Amino acid sequence: MPRYVVERTFPSGLAIPVDAAGAQVCLTVVDRNADEGVTWVHSYVSDDKRKTFCVYDAPSPEAIRKTAQRNDLPVDRITQVSVLDPYFYRSE
Amino acid sequence: MRAFCAEERARTPVLAGACDRLRTPRPLGPFAEIAAGAGGRLQESFSRTDERPLEALAEHLRAQGESIVVVEDAHWADEATLDLIGMLGRRIEQLPALVLVTYRSDELQRSHPLRILLGDLATAFGVERLQLEPLSAAAVARLAEPLAIDAEALFAGTGGNPFFVTEVIASGGATIPPTVRDAVLARAARLEPEARALLDVVAVVTRRAELWLLEAIGEGLDALDACVASGMLRAERDGVAFRHELARLAIEESIPPRRHALLDAAALAALRSPPDGRLDLARLAHHADGAGDSAAVLELAPAAAAAAARLGAHREAAAQYARTLRHGAGLPPRERASLLMARAVECHLTDDHWTAIGEAREAAGLYRELGDVAGEGTAKLKLASLLWCASETAASESATDEGIALLDSLGPSPELARAYEQASSRAMNLEQAEAAFRWGERLLELGEHVEPRTFVAYLNDTGTMKLLLGRRDEGRADLERSISLAVEAGLDSDAGRGYIHLGWAGARIRDFSLDGLLEQGIDYCAERGLELWRLYVIAYRARLQLDRGRWDDAADAATYVLRQPHEALLLRLLVLTTLATVRMRRGDPAADELLAEAARIADGKGDLQHLAPAAIASTELAALAGDADAAAEASTRVLALAHDRGAVWVVGELALWRRLAGIDEPAPAGIPEPYALQLAGRGGEAAEAWRRFGCPYEAALALADASGLEELRRLGAGPVKDALARELRERGERGIRRGPRASTRANPAGLTSRESEVLSLVGEGLRNAEIAERLVLSTRTVEHHVASILRKLGARTRAEAAARAAQVR
Repeated sequence: MPRYVVERTFPSGLAIPVDAAGAQVCLTVVDRNADEGVTWVHSYVSDDKRKTFCVYDAPSPEAIRKTAQRNDLPVDRITQVSVLDPYFYRSE
Repeated sequence: MRAFCAEERARTPVLAGACDRLRTPRPLGPFAEIAAGAGGRLQESFSRTDERPLEALAEHLRAQGESIVVVEDAHWADEATLDLIGMLGRRIEQLPALVLVTYRSDELQRSHPLRILLGDLATAFGVERLQLEPLSAAAVARLAEPLAIDAEALFAGTGGNPFFVTEVIASGGATIPPTVRDAVLARAARLEPEARALLDVVAVVTRRAELWLLEAIGEGLDALDACVASGMLRAERDGVAFRHELARLAIEESIPPRRHALLDAAALAALRSPPDGRLDLARLAHHADGAGDSAAVLELAPAAAAAAARLGAHREAAAQYARTLRHGAGLPPRERASLLMARAVECHLTDDHWTAIGEAREAAGLYRELGDVAGEGTAKLKLASLLWCASETAASESATDEGIALLDSLGPSPELARAYEQASSRAMNLEQAEAAFRWGERLLELGEHVEPRTFVAYLNDTGTMKLLLGRRDEGRADLERSISLAVEAGLDSDAGRGYIHLGWAGARIRDFSLDGLLEQGIDYCAERGLELWRLYVIAYRARLQLDRGRWDDAADAATYVLRQPHEALLLRLLVLTTLATVRMRRGDPAADELLAEAARIADGKGDLQHLAPAAIASTELAALAGDADAAAEASTRVLALAHDRGAVWVVGELALWRRLAGIDEPAPAGIPEPYALQLAGRGGEAAEAWRRFGCPYEAALALADASGLEELRRLGAGPVKDALARELRERGERGIRRGPRASTRANPAGLTSRESEVLSLVGEGLRNAEIAERLVLSTRTVEHHVASILRKLGARTRAEAAARAAQVR
């Protein structure tokens, strides 16, 4: 399954509390993603919490957009990516 | 499965049938078995091939109240059986029946018809697939333990396959045989000679051996009890069967060829006079072939083929004709020619074009030697349509001309009318309007010689041509008339073709008023089992949805069609380009990959049906990248062809993307108004014209101002929106937003205006269902909104959210 980085902007900042309610929010997102075969791997959040870079495994960009809509999450850009591991390269 | 049926039988009637591994299966074999078991009216309707089996079965099931229908080994099913299973599956919610279908997934190659059926039923309501997992190592160990068999070796040797495991265990299990064949043969070898011989007979007469048949073949039934007692066979209603089909195959393959042929001959003789008087042609032909009895094959196989064809089992029909021809070296040329034509027709219906072409060519040659002008002409025209399907356009054209010349020399006839229709249809498909109309007129001059079906096709050809030329009302009227005449006359696939052509031409000229008709067409094709036709209509409708700004719907439909297993390349090309266009407009990845595949399909084609969608999408992608060279490369040849064919919508769209890609050239003449206005730099008027058509994306592009930007945001456009926003900011226009909706930013909690609305109703104490009713939304949508509100406000309950909202205000 292809991997994607999804960039999102939250003008007033993203705040998921680190408690039971926050966990519930994340689980709800994960559940809705499952309907479309989309897996939220993890996200990077900018320090001002206005921008996120989310790593997803998904069957297609359309599936990511659909789950974003259901979860009421904005989408700025979807980029298909693959892993580059700097320590994989060796000098002979 | 058997245990389940045995248990249920006490409460619910069970109707069971199975498919046989005949080289050419009996059409509707398992359902005929079911009908025989049910008796009465159902058996009556199945013995008459002119009745629709679905109706008869549905009627029986409704009358039963509740019942269980079992079809075993569907991987060996004929096409008529698969069709019937598919129709049952799509209607299962309306029937008081549980239908259980078993198949072995390792028997299904990529384009096996059952695989197509499974894909089709994957989304049907009330259809579930149960995956049978192999036995685990622990389960194998438990089975093996009482017999002191080496469980680890048994698991490794069988991979946990339940049949292999039980077969090996049942054979005594002292050693583990390398294959199941050895296991089966070893077990059979332990039988007395009479029982072993009887096993051969049962293996030859295929899955279920009736007692009367075994008796008639005359190797004695005394040993039958021994066979059943050994566990190799199991007793069935009025007969016996192998406990497992694999065992039967292993035994059958072990029979020496001469003995096999003798048993086939005996079975053939016996099956010629069955006690109930009902001849089973497929089974007879199978044994005639096995016995090497050419005279019997020539007598039985063509009749079996015709019966299979009537039931829609075209693969079986083609195989029966092939069997006939194999045995027909000494047939007179006229008979051979007509068999060749019959096989060509059946091969055509199963997409085996090149076999069909070979047979039609040989038939045409035989008719010529016979001096049969009508026969030769008809064969040539069949050959022409086969060559057309195989994309051999030039060869098809000359075969049509030759066929028409031959038939013309004989004066007016229904065949000549059909030939004119074929020529008109070919011209229409190539968008050679003048020729299409000319052949149509010649056809009308033949008056009463024009058969109803030919007239239906004629209306389709001219209607499609008119619609493509933008003569909306006339074209639509012709096509609607063609469809309704076809429906009245029961010409299902002709009606389906009418709907496809409405979609094709309608998408070309952006006639969104056809949407309702297309939806009706999708339902019609689904009801009649016209699967490929249905997918084509969905594909063209997806294109219309894209052009109306319904990108989600278009992408959903295109993805759906892409996931269906089928071999139709044009269909694939259509949905590849639609999905690619959605992606490129959103700025999503992998549009170029889809277009590369579309371009490969279009490569070498000579008609706009293939070429235009691929060229238009590639040119638009080049425009988004501002790459004039790529735009020219993708479009120059197709632009000239479209111009030549008077396909003004294709010319207009290509011209627009070329302009936006940076190609500096004058606007072509004669293109539709919105393109002409836009290329003339009259953006405002163009946008107005696009809005009248109902194309919001094009309207926004033409406008290129703040309101256009707003529209692009609403549509979910990516690159074009960003470029326009940048441009407007550079021009110093005010009020150009960078982020999400202004109203969202104004709300301190980051709620959308819809969410604020929902929240205020939450504050009034309304439940989700009540809110849904008030705002005319689905309850599910309201649930999503409420969850989102709770998240944004960091609230745990609705009351907390309402309180927090009051504070913010």
